Amino acid sequence: MHETDLAEKFAAYAEARLPGASNTRVNNINRIHGGASRQTYSIDLVYEDATGPKVKGLILRRDPPDSLIDTERRVEFAAIKSAYGQRDLPVPEALFLETDPTVLGAPFFVMGRIESGTPVNPFKIADIEPYRAAIGEQFFRHLGSIAALPVEGSALAAETDSPALDQCWRRELDYWANEIRSNANDPQPVAEAAIRYLQRHPPPPAQRLSIVHGDYRSGNYLQDGEGTMTAILDWEMAHIGDPYEDLAWATDLLWCGSDQERAAGLLPWPEAIAVWQEASGCAFDPAAFEWWSLFAHVKALGIWVTSEKAFAAGDNDDPILAWSGWFTHAAHELMLAMRLGPKYGASV
Amino acid sequence: MSDIGMILDRIGRKLVTDVAPKLEGDYSAGHAAMSGLMAVMAGEAWDSAADRLVNEIAGIRALLALAGRQVTVTESATVKISDLTTERNALAEQLVVVQAELEARDDAAAKDLNAKVWMHLMATAMARMPSPPDFPDAEE
Repeated sequence: MHETDLAEKFAAYAEARLPGASNTRVNNINRIHGGASRQTYSIDLVYEDATGPKVKGLILRRDPPDSLIDTERRVEFAAIKSAYGQRDLPVPEALFLETDPTVLGAPFFVMGRIESGTPVNPFKIADIEPYRAAIGEQFFRHLGSIAALPVEGSALAAETDSPALDQCWRRELDYWANEIRSNANDPQPVAEAAIRYLQRHPPPPAQRLSIVHGDYRSGNYLQDGEGTMTAILDWEMAHIGDPYEDLAWATDLLWCGSDQERAAGLLPWPEAIAVWQEASGCAFDPAAFEWWSLFAHVKALGIWVTSEKAFAAGDNDDPILAWSGWFTHAAHELMLAMRLGPKYGASV
Repeated sequence: MSDIGMILDRIGRKLVTDVAPKLEGDYSAGHAAMSGLMAVMAGEAWDSAADRLVNEIAGIRALLALAGRQVTVTESATVKISDLTTERNALAEQLVVVQAELEARDDAAAKDLNAKVWMHLMATAMARMPSPPDFPDAEE
């Protein structure tokens, strides 16, 4: 669907849902690069209501033919609703969810646009100096706050299942092992060995059930260039599970700009863990974290082989999928091999 | 003009440094930058691909022999990347099975051979890792 057509249809859709709105039109629409899991558009919506003319900044997230991650938009929508307005979390307001594909050619949802901030490039985290520590404190505080959000009664709990405390790891490992086995174009001996290792050495039960963002990392938040984190984005992999899953994913080496001294490339590890513990109310168990950290590499491989498959099949020709299936896959395979090999007596 | 690696390198750099900036503000700018970055990487990978695959194949065949495995995978008739990849993949599937069997054993010989398997996997992973050129806006 061409953007002009998309804008016209969206304006009509929005007018029917905004109380008292009339003369509604899209003043500006721009597709945002990088949102390969959804087609993401920034929209200026202009309309009038009983109080006068209005301009509303919106983000439209529409399902693509294929994506990095096969997720239900209703889960992402529910996750954003669950976090919006809670504990000072910078989360956009979830506005409309439309599952009828005939409206805009594919299911979509709409959220309020956060007007300030740019994403942090995981390969250039040092660019945010002199605010690296300030952003780091917020990054781990918000991550802990997400882990502390109430699960019971949340919008997300209504849309997805809640595993038993001792089954969180198994559910996630089974899911991503299946993704790897179903989608890999080539044999994956490193991933297979890692899956077996994780199955044989399970972590302790989750200390609590939490809302797990699922993709909380550098590149998926905005910062304003003056030391403030302004938005937490990309909730498409949200679910209910073990809070360590988010902590391990957020601090995966790929998102750290290869900085092993600072968690997420932002804050010295002891400080980062202390901030996360205080905000989440969770204790930190290095052994449990080690399991989830290895699992994060496996989960990443699951995403990357799925990306490669979609690109190779021509389902989605966004070059970021080719990049994911090549560079980031190689990076995570190398990380896994270098961490697991020594456990079996291997050295380079 | 037969130096494919050089051609890909030049095309990639053109896309990143010349084409993508002219598209700034349009969605296609990101595609151009990402495509250029990968073209440069592909040029580098093109030069080493056959060598890497031949090494992987030799490594896996040696490990399967040490495991006493009867290997029925035939050697590639050519050194085309596609043929070598087919051979490597067939061997790698057997390696996955062998490694799972080794992990189920507790004897020193199994542990020693599994360590060798891991050394192969580590060396392979290192050889596969592309080194992205440092362009200003081609990332993620």
